Amino acid sequence: MERVVRKKVKELLDSGNVIAVIGLKDELGKTTPYLFRRGDDVSKLKLSPHYPLATVARKLHKADPEYKFALLCRGCDERALIEMAKRNQIDLDGIMLIGIACDEKMARECNCAVPYPSCDDIIGEPLRDLELGDPYGEFKKMSTPEKLEFWKKQFLKCNKCYGCRNICPMCFCKECELENGLWLRKGRLPPDYPVYHLIRAFHLAGKCIGCGECEKACPAGIPLMTLNRLVRDDMKDLFDYVAGTDGENVNPLYTKEEF
Amino acid sequence: MDSEWEPKIVGFLCNWCCYAGADMAGTSRMQYPPNIRVIRVMCSSRLNAEMIIKAFQAGADAVFIGGCHPGDCHYVDGNYRTKKRVDVLKRLIGYVGIEPERLRLEWISAAEGEEFAKTMRELCDEIKNLGPSPLKQIAEEMV
Repeated sequence: MERVVRKKVKELLDSGNVIAVIGLKDELGKTTPYLFRRGDDVSKLKLSPHYPLATVARKLHKADPEYKFALLCRGCDERALIEMAKRNQIDLDGIMLIGIACDEKMARECNCAVPYPSCDDIIGEPLRDLELGDPYGEFKKMSTPEKLEFWKKQFLKCNKCYGCRNICPMCFCKECELENGLWLRKGRLPPDYPVYHLIRAFHLAGKCIGCGECEKACPAGIPLMTLNRLVRDDMKDLFDYVAGTDGENVNPLYTKEEF
Repeated sequence: MDSEWEPKIVGFLCNWCCYAGADMAGTSRMQYPPNIRVIRVMCSSRLNAEMIIKAFQAGADAVFIGGCHPGDCHYVDGNYRTKKRVDVLKRLIGYVGIEPERLRLEWISAAEGEEFAKTMRELCDEIKNLGPSPLKQIAEEMV
């Protein structure tokens, strides 16, 4: 699969349709996001581990909106780009997407129901009917005091590194409420219970695209996706809104319509 | 449980409807439990999730939000926004182990003093049955 992607990237760069391609590069045994340009060694291009390249695309676009580039785009990257475009963070017209389908192992790791982008030519076989079951069924069965106990154990591990926020492709506010001393007193560890995590979960309501990066980035191993995914499901349940699926609909929390 | 314990309820009341309704209850000498600490806001949609979460973190046993009836909002559509936010937040606090009943949204107009007093009595009874907020104990442990 990597070989096919490399070939495609090389073709694209040689054709001159795009100036650069955002991908991951193997460098001294470590993988980093990298901007491949014509003449670069594409044999070092990698596909794993998973990284939100949509964030890189957003930053690049912000620095130079005229820059024409392509992006190796997984299902979650595409959802992130759609949500960013809705919020005027990026203009998708100038960006070319190279669709990549995730394999079953990756999709199960992320509990991802749609592990492929919607563009026409996808590299790899899109898993269109993957049966995931309900990964949070056990959590949902807990009683309220049990949930309290569960999260108490988890949230008190938090060392407020802001890793979940920094990796999140949907966190692009200039000023973050999590740094506002009104809600979270400074210099407290663990952060005021449960303000940090609730504010983050609420702010991602209708925004979270379910990529699972926050959970992977968390050094304390807090199962953040449980909370985010439940809120994502709630948005569907309450307002029939799923973030990242449609470029036209607006987050119902931003509108005045009655539900 | 300690029979002396009285719940602390933070009330965010909209200036145009619910606050006037509470005022009406007061001037009409209606009896209701004095557990609510009223904060007047210009519109119930002025509240954001942070304020409600912070109230719980700071030791509120319940948060009451009072707004205008749908269609009566002084700012045309503020209360619709509040309703949607509170619906999401209610479920969210449920997930982390705070009973969703502790967050309550009611529409009370300026003329409904009796309604306000009744809601306060109901809410106070409900919270007394639920007991103190679980976050209070955690906050004590953390200090």
